[in-house]
Amino acid sequence: MGKPKFYDFCIHAVPDGENTAEQLAALSRHLGYSGIALTNHSDKLPLSQPVLPSTNEFEIFRGVELAEENPSKLHGLIGKFRKFVDVLIVHGGSETVNRAALENPKVDILNHPAFAKSSGLNQVLAKAAADNDVAIGLTIRPLLHSRGQRRVRLLSDLRANLDLARKYDVPLVLSSDAMSCFDLRSPMEILALAEICGLEEDEALEAITIVPEIIISRNRPGPGYIREGIEVIEEGDYF
Amino acid sequence: MKRLLPSLRAKKRYLAFELISEAPVSRNDLIKEVMFSASSLIGDVTASECDIKVLGFEDSKGIAQCSHAKVKETRASLATLTWVNGKRATVHILGTSGTIKRATEKFLRNHTTFEPELKVNFKKAGEL
Repeated sequence: MGKPKFYDFCIHAVPDGENTAEQLAALSRHLGYSGIALTNHSDKLPLSQPVLPSTNEFEIFRGVELAEENPSKLHGLIGKFRKFVDVLIVHGGSETVNRAALENPKVDILNHPAFAKSSGLNQVLAKAAADNDVAIGLTIRPLLHSRGQRRVRLLSDLRANLDLARKYDVPLVLSSDAMSCFDLRSPMEILALAEICGLEEDEALEAITIVPEIIISRNRPGPGYIREGIEVIEEGDYF
Repeated sequence: MKRLLPSLRAKKRYLAFELISEAPVSRNDLIKEVMFSASSLIGDVTASECDIKVLGFEDSKGIAQCSHAKVKETRASLATLTWVNGKRATVHILGTSGTIKRATEKFLRNHTTFEPELKVNFKKAGEL
């Protein structure tokens, strides 16, 4: 088995964050990532050309984090963005938004599902997430920057969501949710932190390597792709 | 006092790390911050079991010591370090080893600290 490839799927560059895409890419490459997704909060379509040319060792994926309170508008935005981005994240935070995101199979990740006195998930939503293959995003930045009561709250929400995700087999994605270069952490540190916060070693590893790869392969079908489950593997004269 | 026998001494791991920060940071400030973030993340009890010490720190590179059974906890608590003396900073662990010599040779000797043009850009971001 080769060295696993690590991905960070929630990074905010300028104008959301403080640093440019180039700086964030350079630092995450230095920290040992194989790919990052730049996911700014936006409701405008991103530029069609890639942010930076990608190389074999490091790739930058186009992404977006949608923050929209109105579920029907959210569904509209998801439809509009889906064709243009590799990673589509929904910024949760209320029951209706969480529900809309988890019931839409076009969504890749739901971040920040927690809202007042609730971890943001329940058995109904967890089941919907599993059925539609929407991953729950576990973000590191809030854990780094809060102390005391606030962090205790975040950790207990995380644990509650983790229990539900295990029971219903919901995919998890670990990401930094970085707003600046100083919010980035190397994959090993994120794994250690995730394990301290209650994830199992293999769960944490899967959440930062395999699940992101599955998301990308789902959204970038190969040349022979026809529809889910049907693919032309080899071109030939069959008829 | 007589020194403990080598076989009775606590086993340690040495973590070679680099500090990516806005401005140069002194060793004392770093130690203070490391201990604070460790005890706030894993609690005083576990932090004492980890036995975290910052041994040497120079030119944004350094070696930290921890108990060999608590590397994970130490890594996690170093990761939660966000500010040192009012300056933003990040600890990036380059590798772990059982001896200081090996940690220095393997991870620090030929390592150049990551130096993006952060400092310049941070000033700009502050003005905006």
